[in-house]
Amino acid sequence: MYLIELSNYSIAALGSGNGLNNFYFALSDGDACAVNTDTIDDAHVFLKTLATIVRPESGTFRYKGKVIDFSDYRNLLFFKRKIGYIGQDSAMISNRTIRENLLLKRSFFQNSLSLTLDQNVVRFCKIFKIYEKLDLRPGDLRPVELRMAVAIRELTKSFDVLLLERPEDYFGHNRFDLFNEILKDTLAHGNAVVFFSHDQDFIESFSNRKILISGGTLVKVPA
Amino acid sequence: MIQVAGNIGRKTIHFANHILDLFAFTYRILKLIFKRQEYGRAIVRRVILEQIYFTCVQALSIIVPVALLVGSMLIIEFTKISVQYDLGKITVILLVRELGPIITAFLVILRSATAVTIEIGYMNVLHEIEAFEMAGIDPMRIICLPRLVGITSAVFCLFIVFDLVSIVGGYCLVWFTTHIPMGDFLGQIGKAITAADIAVGIVKAICFGIIITVTSLKHGFQIRKNITQIPPGTSRAAIESVIFCLISNVIISAIFYM
Repeated sequence: MYLIELSNYSIAALGSGNGLNNFYFALSDGDACAVNTDTIDDAHVFLKTLATIVRPESGTFRYKGKVIDFSDYRNLLFFKRKIGYIGQDSAMISNRTIRENLLLKRSFFQNSLSLTLDQNVVRFCKIFKIYEKLDLRPGDLRPVELRMAVAIRELTKSFDVLLLERPEDYFGHNRFDLFNEILKDTLAHGNAVVFFSHDQDFIESFSNRKILISGGTLVKVPA
Repeated sequence: MIQVAGNIGRKTIHFANHILDLFAFTYRILKLIFKRQEYGRAIVRRVILEQIYFTCVQALSIIVPVALLVGSMLIIEFTKISVQYDLGKITVILLVRELGPIITAFLVILRSATAVTIEIGYMNVLHEIEAFEMAGIDPMRIICLPRLVGITSAVFCLFIVFDLVSIVGGYCLVWFTTHIPMGDFLGQIGKAITAADIAVGIVKAICFGIIITVTSLKHGFQIRKNITQIPPGTSRAAIESVIFCLISNVIISAIFYM
């Protein structure tokens, strides 16, 4: 059984992209899939599709064999919880502190208002140098720090699949190597990852399969 | 002529759709109140308290002076145009039944409804609603429900504050210009207030709270693509809230007093 399986799937175009027409895509546990596209917009919309943020024009989305019903956004929430999405438009809730943002999921699902972070989150905060800024609101952080906070939130989410969009731009030169180390540790547990990157070293290090999205069609690139 | 008729028809259909959307949206939020979900109680309760603090407690510094000014102005005028024993009844009719709820609703619209529309608009444009969803949290439950409960409770509390301050405070302010003893004045008001007045106050608070919250949230959620949509959206939300509050005020008063 595939982790994610999209069949006869079509997605509308976004920006300068072509969209995707009637394609098939399957992802299993342990897959590390590199996406290559004509336009950045197509890669962006494809990752958002896998995150169930973008609704299809047609087709079937199966998550661990279960068909996802897109007719009501509430049906998607359970699946979204299992997907880590580090994209260019990932955001923090601006009227909460970074600490509250990182605790949001736990606060909600465990009915707890405790402000103590998990050890793993604290470790990542120290590595990415935002530990001192946990009690500030997102507006008080520099954009790069904000992106680190988003990354920490997603990496500590206990996801089944991690979606990454241009990590080399997202993390910046200084922190990209650090992120690579963390990603290696994280993926050692057998989680799947789908990413779009221009960094050839990153692609070669992490991918075990590649796909190409060109002119509205999805093609498997032979290894 | 056909174009004019077509235009009127399209606008009417659009308006009817909008009203139906607002009712559907209200129904969905109200349903969440009665759906006793296991998750998110602590955080939802916290957001409700934050909303009450913002809409009610922080608004006291505005509502108290406004109530004093309106109360003193009306009591001065009433003492000139009425004989002494009508003052309590006129005060109840005008301040408690009509002006109090409407002025309070207007202040809440100016202060909180606009803020809610702007906040939700920004959250939508900056993908913060998506962030809630990606955490598996229903935005209706963590954003809409607390605002509905918070703003409605705040409107009800502010009604009481406005009525008390405008009557007692207003009287105190004009005490030196009138010849009416305080005891007589409060006694007249006590006799004039009926159970229907209290019921109307509660009904108006609930209706205005729901109207203000739902209208401002709906317009906030309609802002999707860019930040420049936020000012016109906020303006529409404020104007609609005022109009819907006025209409519902007339309907409620007609039901209870005619």
